[in-house]
Amino acid sequence: MKNTPSTDELKDMHHKMVVTRELEEVLGVYAKEGKTRGPIHRCDGQEAVGVGACAALRTDDYVCTTHRGHHVYVGKGLTAHGIVAEIFGRETGYCKGRGGHMLLGDVTTGMLGGNAIVGAGIPAATGMALSIQILKQDRVAMVVFGDGAAQTGICHEAMNMAGLWKLPVIFVLENNEYGLTVRHDVQSPVADLSIRAAGYAMPGEIVDGNDVEAVYRAVALASERARRGEGPSLIEAKTYRIKGFSTSDMGGYQSEEEMAPWLARDPIQRSAEKLVALVGADTVAAIEAAARAEVASAFETALSDPFPVFETHAPSAAYSEFTP
Amino acid sequence: MATPITAGAVAGEYMETLVIVEWRVGVGDAVNKGDVLLTIETAKAAVDVEAPDTGVISAIFASAESEVPAAAVLCLIGKDVTDVSYGDAPAKAAENAASAPQPYPVAPLATEQAPRTPAGGRIIASPAARRAARAAGIDLATVSPTSVSGRIKLRDVASATYQTAPLQAPNLSMGLPPDERGLLKVHRSGPPDGAPIFFLHGFASDSSSWYPLDRQLAKDHPVYRMDLPNHGSSPKRQIKDFTALVKDVRDAFDALDLEGAHVIGHSLGGALALALADTRAPRIASLTLFAPGGLGPKINSDFIDGIAAASRPASLEAWLKVMVSDQRLIDPAFVNAAFAARTQAELRSAQVHMGKTLFADQTQSFNLVSALHRLECPTRIVWGRKDRILDWHDALQAPGHIGLHLLEGVGHVPHLEAPDISRAIIRSLIKSV
Amino acid sequence: MTLMRYAEALNAALREEMQRDPTVFMFGEDIGRYGGVFKVSKGLRDEFGDARVRDTPISEQAMTAMAVTAAMSGTRPILEIMYADFLPLTLDALVNQASVFTYLWEGQVEIPFVLRTQGGGGVGTGAQHAKSLDAMVCHIPGLKVVAPATPADAKGLLKSAIRDSQPVVFLEHKLLYNTRGEVPDGDDVLVPIGKARTVLEGRHVSIFASSKMVIEAENAAKLLAQDGIEAEVIDLRTLRPLDLESIRRSIAKTHHAVVVNEGWTFCGYASELSATIMEYCFDDLDAPVQRVAMPDMAIPYSEPLEMAVLPNAIKIAAAARKAIA
Repeated sequence: MKNTPSTDELKDMHHKMVVTRELEEVLGVYAKEGKTRGPIHRCDGQEAVGVGACAALRTDDYVCTTHRGHHVYVGKGLTAHGIVAEIFGRETGYCKGRGGHMLLGDVTTGMLGGNAIVGAGIPAATGMALSIQILKQDRVAMVVFGDGAAQTGICHEAMNMAGLWKLPVIFVLENNEYGLTVRHDVQSPVADLSIRAAGYAMPGEIVDGNDVEAVYRAVALASERARRGEGPSLIEAKTYRIKGFSTSDMGGYQSEEEMAPWLARDPIQRSAEKLVALVGADTVAAIEAAARAEVASAFETALSDPFPVFETHAPSAAYSEFTP
Repeated sequence: MATPITAGAVAGEYMETLVIVEWRVGVGDAVNKGDVLLTIETAKAAVDVEAPDTGVISAIFASAESEVPAAAVLCLIGKDVTDVSYGDAPAKAAENAASAPQPYPVAPLATEQAPRTPAGGRIIASPAARRAARAAGIDLATVSPTSVSGRIKLRDVASATYQTAPLQAPNLSMGLPPDERGLLKVHRSGPPDGAPIFFLHGFASDSSSWYPLDRQLAKDHPVYRMDLPNHGSSPKRQIKDFTALVKDVRDAFDALDLEGAHVIGHSLGGALALALADTRAPRIASLTLFAPGGLGPKINSDFIDGIAAASRPASLEAWLKVMVSDQRLIDPAFVNAAFAARTQAELRSAQVHMGKTLFADQTQSFNLVSALHRLECPTRIVWGRKDRILDWHDALQAPGHIGLHLLEGVGHVPHLEAPDISRAIIRSLIKSV
Repeated sequence: MTLMRYAEALNAALREEMQRDPTVFMFGEDIGRYGGVFKVSKGLRDEFGDARVRDTPISEQAMTAMAVTAAMSGTRPILEIMYADFLPLTLDALVNQASVFTYLWEGQVEIPFVLRTQGGGGVGTGAQHAKSLDAMVCHIPGLKVVAPATPADAKGLLKSAIRDSQPVVFLEHKLLYNTRGEVPDGDDVLVPIGKARTVLEGRHVSIFASSKMVIEAENAAKLLAQDGIEAEVIDLRTLRPLDLESIRRSIAKTHHAVVVNEGWTFCGYASELSATIMEYCFDDLDAPVQRVAMPDMAIPYSEPLEMAVLPNAIKIAAAARKAIA
């Protein structure tokens, strides 16, 4: 059983976390200048969850994520340029500007979607797992969802069927303490949502969501289990949302005292420290410089890419009886 | 492109022909919007046709005293006297008729968009156009569509019939009338100089009812015919009481700034003429009162309610016949012409409301007998002894210096029923001043 | 009269009704401490406390079903569903619960429940946060549906909705929250449910719209006026029950109708209006009724794409010209 990341994998995860962070930092600057459109949901401080979880999967495994999914996008192997172009509504984006930052999807990497309906990713991944089981494939499906989504009715329904039918699905509960502006303790009577796993006859585990290696290990174990046909797992990755709900969030409900310990446990910093010990500071600096350069080039290219032009084409008019 | 002028709506919706009484303009004359171009005679009365636009009369197609089809183009108003081209005459003419609803601007049809001929002989027309054609007895096969789609629309039926007044469903609910501002409308005819004559019509009538007198008197006198509020082309507004109505009339009279006016009023207009004379004595040279109101409490209130509300020609006809003694005067042409001026539901509902206010409790509550006694100007009262609206005996309260003409075999409208005597009385009165 | 933003007018209505009636309470996501994501409930938690202005988990389906039974059992709940796009999550409670029991139990229960939500596109919120699902809720018999366009109507109609004994779906628009308008003063100034408002009088074509589309219709009227076309703009205000009398009166005058709705075209609210006009005003029509609505597709994110699919003044004016031609 392989559940320990190699040094190369650690380097790659570090690279992807820095890409994610850098991408969001630059987006934040553009958002402040009013140059982005619609809300942007940042996952600063949560990079280890998406990147670590995706790194433990194969390219042909499926993953579903939330409206806050940049770390999953990057983690599953989407390019910074394609993501940025999509967020700026360009023809060169992953969805040619139609999906935008929350609803991005890419079949080639198995990243089947950000989703802006809270909780919608949970049955989505479960359905993919059902298909995998019927087709007798050795793939797995994974969903990264939040503590807010854990309170939806559909979460219960999907987990029950996953447990009942031993579907190859991994439920990664990214507990960042907030559902929009409402704290976890106002949404749930229990602190640890992983205890619910018992009710669905699946293992439930708590991991440090700010430790990319810990997330990797937990997901690697869960995927082995799923591939063996032993069914789903629930992994509760404890983390914290540093940057508020979105660019439209006026804030005021997250205190500095609450945030300080989490800032001290920054996942990228911790990954860097570990890597310096393994490969030396110069290599880590080079990884980070390359990541930043990749993001800078992504923005530069994307911002000069063309906008799409509206036309009634097959996917937009599939069910239109009348041509306008 | 010159503007072709037709009688349009003023011809009345059931008219086939009309007679041109008099041209007020000649070719080459510059006219302003609103100037009277000519007077035509319809079944009911004489009506002025006004210029819809400013321009120059570039052609006149029919001479005075001739009878022409109601739809005929009567003259053209061009940019200058050489501007005589006009196309699409019927539609344009309907558009330009004074009281026609302004039709929608229609883009000229490009040749490739020319109206389609109906396939298989089926006529394609909008529901509204079908209904209008049905009501007017028009065969849609004779109507050409002007729409891009090739469908016959309401405007096409309207221009085919010249029936430009908007169709109103009968018996519309009677709400309060609107409250429009502005002075009452006064129609002017006759020469610029001379002793002025000022006419005030009766309830549920309008200024065109003076046609039998105006036609002759306007040859020698400047004639001013006022439309009362909620009547003819005057504003529609709620009239609080008789006093308010007098003020309305006085304001419009004052605005004319007449000297030595010979005031002639009929019925309610007679009461108003009396009230006007009571406060404007210095400006009034004589007074002729046809079946004047305000001299007693009695009034035929069924008539007041019925004529104001009549929403169909048949019901109007019944009440018109109550007005006169000789029923033959109220022939179908008269009824249709009278009804054409009353197709507007708002006008009818405004009059119903006004009638209920002025004649509340089936009573003329305003009494002008004392005003009659204060009169100093030469005054005549003309009344038919067969009047079924007001009681002619009220005239007997007049003081000795007022002349009474109580006509045998005449009803409520002496100037219609006995136009020659009526005119002779007025002429002799004016001469006597 | 006081000049207010649409969001402030709603806030005032909520405050006044909660002061007036202690059985009125609110619940929804982020409405309490944060004051609502569009700040409609700002300050209400401080004034009325946690019990009456309640933050909820993300649980639309259960919240809506709970609102229905809470309304049956003595309170007047006001539920905020953050985006109209989440209405599908509430549907069982609306279709199978809220709208049936008053009738089935022969009037033994009333369900005085208001579901507030907001829809509409134009700001790049993408396919799951920009929809207008008016038709979906209007399809359900037993619900009243209102969609005010002005601050005055927002306040007056919300107060009427809260006092109503039937479930009312109250549709707001994200682009209207910051619009300003004069709002009549007084705690008892209500706008009746079921009455349309004539925004502009005109003789040539009637444009029927609601919510933000009223503003688009007014702008269309300005465009049409340049060509000498006088458009009559009718703000329906209440989508259900429909003010058929106002519709009839206007069409009897203009003989041309354009119906506008920001939702999808097929089986959409504009389609319902069109069918109603066809059925009740047929003989007054001088041209087919024109629908202006969203194409039948997901709302794209990218600005040029989103702007291409949203109904707007230019499309409304074009439809009016087509009707009149």
